[in-house]
Amino acid sequence: MTTAAAPGGGGRSGSGGWGAAAVVAPALILLIAFNVFPLFYNLILSFTSAELGVEGWTWVGTRNYQRVFERPEYSAALRTTALFVFLAVVCELALGFVLALALHRRFAGKTALLTALLIPMMLPPAVMGLYANLLYDGDYGLLNQIISGFGVAPPQWRTDPAWKLTAVLIVDVWMWTPFMLLISLAALGSVPRHLYEAAEVDRASAWMVFRRITIPLCAPLLALAALLRTTDALKQFDIVMAITGPNDQATQTVSALLYQGLFADGKVGRGSAYACVVLVLVIALATVCTRYLDWLARRQGRGA
Amino acid sequence: MSTFSSLCRPALRCLAGIAAVAGLAAGDSKPLTIWWAQWAPADGLQQLSEDFTKSTGIAVKVHQIPWSSYQDQVFLAFGNKTTEFDIVVGDSQWIGRGATKGLYLNLTSWLPGAVDLKAQNPQVLRYLCEYPGGSGNYWAAPCESDAVGFSYRADWFADPAEKSAFKAKFNRDLAPPATWAEFKDVAVFFHRPEQKRFGCALLTGRGYDSLVMGFQQLLWAWGGSWGDPATFKVTGKLDSPQAAAALGFFKELMAFGPAGATNLDYGKSLEAFTNGSTAMAMNYFAFAPGIAKQMGDKAGFFVMPTQDGRRTISLGGQGLSISAKVPVERQEQAKKFIAWFLTEPVQRQWITKDAGFTANTAILKSEAFRKAAPYNAAFADSLDSLQDFWNVPVYNELLAAAQKRLGEALDGVKTPAAALTELAKEHQDILTDAGLAK
Repeated sequence: MTTAAAPGGGGRSGSGGWGAAAVVAPALILLIAFNVFPLFYNLILSFTSAELGVEGWTWVGTRNYQRVFERPEYSAALRTTALFVFLAVVCELALGFVLALALHRRFAGKTALLTALLIPMMLPPAVMGLYANLLYDGDYGLLNQIISGFGVAPPQWRTDPAWKLTAVLIVDVWMWTPFMLLISLAALGSVPRHLYEAAEVDRASAWMVFRRITIPLCAPLLALAALLRTTDALKQFDIVMAITGPNDQATQTVSALLYQGLFADGKVGRGSAYACVVLVLVIALATVCTRYLDWLARRQGRGA
Repeated sequence: MSTFSSLCRPALRCLAGIAAVAGLAAGDSKPLTIWWAQWAPADGLQQLSEDFTKSTGIAVKVHQIPWSSYQDQVFLAFGNKTTEFDIVVGDSQWIGRGATKGLYLNLTSWLPGAVDLKAQNPQVLRYLCEYPGGSGNYWAAPCESDAVGFSYRADWFADPAEKSAFKAKFNRDLAPPATWAEFKDVAVFFHRPEQKRFGCALLTGRGYDSLVMGFQQLLWAWGGSWGDPATFKVTGKLDSPQAAAALGFFKELMAFGPAGATNLDYGKSLEAFTNGSTAMAMNYFAFAPGIAKQMGDKAGFFVMPTQDGRRTISLGGQGLSISAKVPVERQEQAKKFIAWFLTEPVQRQWITKDAGFTANTAILKSEAFRKAAPYNAAFADSLDSLQDFWNVPVYNELLAAAQKRLGEALDGVKTPAAALTELAKEHQDILTDAGLAK
């Protein structure tokens, strides 16, 4: 499907060029309309006094950004988000990989088990959050009834500040461990069999095989999975909204704070500034992670 | 395929014609549209408005929106050139934003001539209709007047065994508490977690405003305040020793509540009472008809206790505001509706609806009203003590900060004094940044 193969061999000019443009145009228009334009519009708004429900705005320079960094809630939300992302990604990666190691073999009912494990990932996070609310209810929740059955005083998941973030974390781990499981299974499947066979001939211990073959060869895919989940977890909003609401000190992530500023307080300008700062942070983090992925790939290339 | 097309084409043309005619008809006779939250009083307003339609020929539609997204939807709608609603039944705190951002129609020159304002409770007028409070500038008319009060287990209080045990322990009769000290005694007395019986449920929810609405009544009663409404000076008021003592007392009461007592929103406080486990529960009177229906004679109602003779109560309810973004002719229809709604005969009908609470003082004082429902007397006695949180345009930022810091004090993350010191600083910053405080 090269241009050279096209009738007439017209290269990139002429009708072939227009045809290609026509194919690309719808996607390009959608991309500009829903990604590029909002991005620049948001950037413009972040330098204005725009408010929800109020027509017109004035330029305020960098005042919104000053407010973002001056106000204590932003640094608190950043800390909460960082803690949440770290714990969520580590737990999901570890659990997903361990599950993948257990499932990476043939056994009866494997397909059914995998399907069952994937169900939470397929449900919308808001639905999962509302469902978790029922489970977490201090008086009637299934979870506390089970815990009480063991004679232990159950925690107040949604009201005790020591448990609120854990409650959100549990739902996130429940939802996204299957994603890590899938990637881990793919990574394990990509390790060449002959390496294991060679290790067996050399009488390498199981731990040595795991440390020297499985982990290094799975690392690029696992790192990619961790990168995807990190960027996604940084935007955590739905589950927080469903379980504690957007204005709870213990669980207020940056996205929840953004919602609070933009929709509840009606400060569109300041909310846009929050969003720009989050975007810069996500881009910075993603750049670090992709550089790490490149480094891993180069290292493996040299090793081969 | 061609047969199918030939059959479809006339049918589609016919449907398009019907849709166009229906659209035109709908456009021509769009009812006077009122937006309100989804709850019983909105049903009552819809029923009542049928009489208005009969007498004027103007159809009225009360569009109900779930509480959780009501504020967002209203202010998103205000972002358009015109609003779908002609009247919005807005929360008391919205009035500053509505008045100063060109969203609400200024009613100052019209309302006093069209409605007998002397017949309305002055506190309701001040906090629900005027901006700034006491300025005589009206941006809303009273619709649903509400106040925070207490429901209590009348059957437990009337139990002879409980009465004698209480008398023996506290050397006075068991009765609905008149002071906060008495309130604590009653809460301590009934708090028996081993029997799944709890002393009190207070408003402490972290969602929108329930913690602030619950606590501020003690803040004012103890002699503290959110700040000076004239100068917007907060420090020295909100971080005063009186305010810290009020928050300390409020926190102490958490020990006598049900599981999760430090985070009970309106629904949870209601549930704590109606599930039969709690002796006294704080909530808006708007929930009282439901409680009375569900609990019958088991439930009684009392007015907010006092501290050093001071009784202060959180205002609730909403006012009728006309959108400044609809054509003048629709604004005139909206004025007609408001003037009709606030006539005494209509207000007498309004109080027969579920939680249809009036601000009409003559009705409130009448024995007929006080005896019509078990909660009416406590509600009527509450109105003169009403006060409200800030209603300036940046109220929501102030509210969000207060919900967080007060929550930290209840959770034990900060001491009451430290939480209030931090909150006072935050509030002062927000008010200064908004250009209100110098």
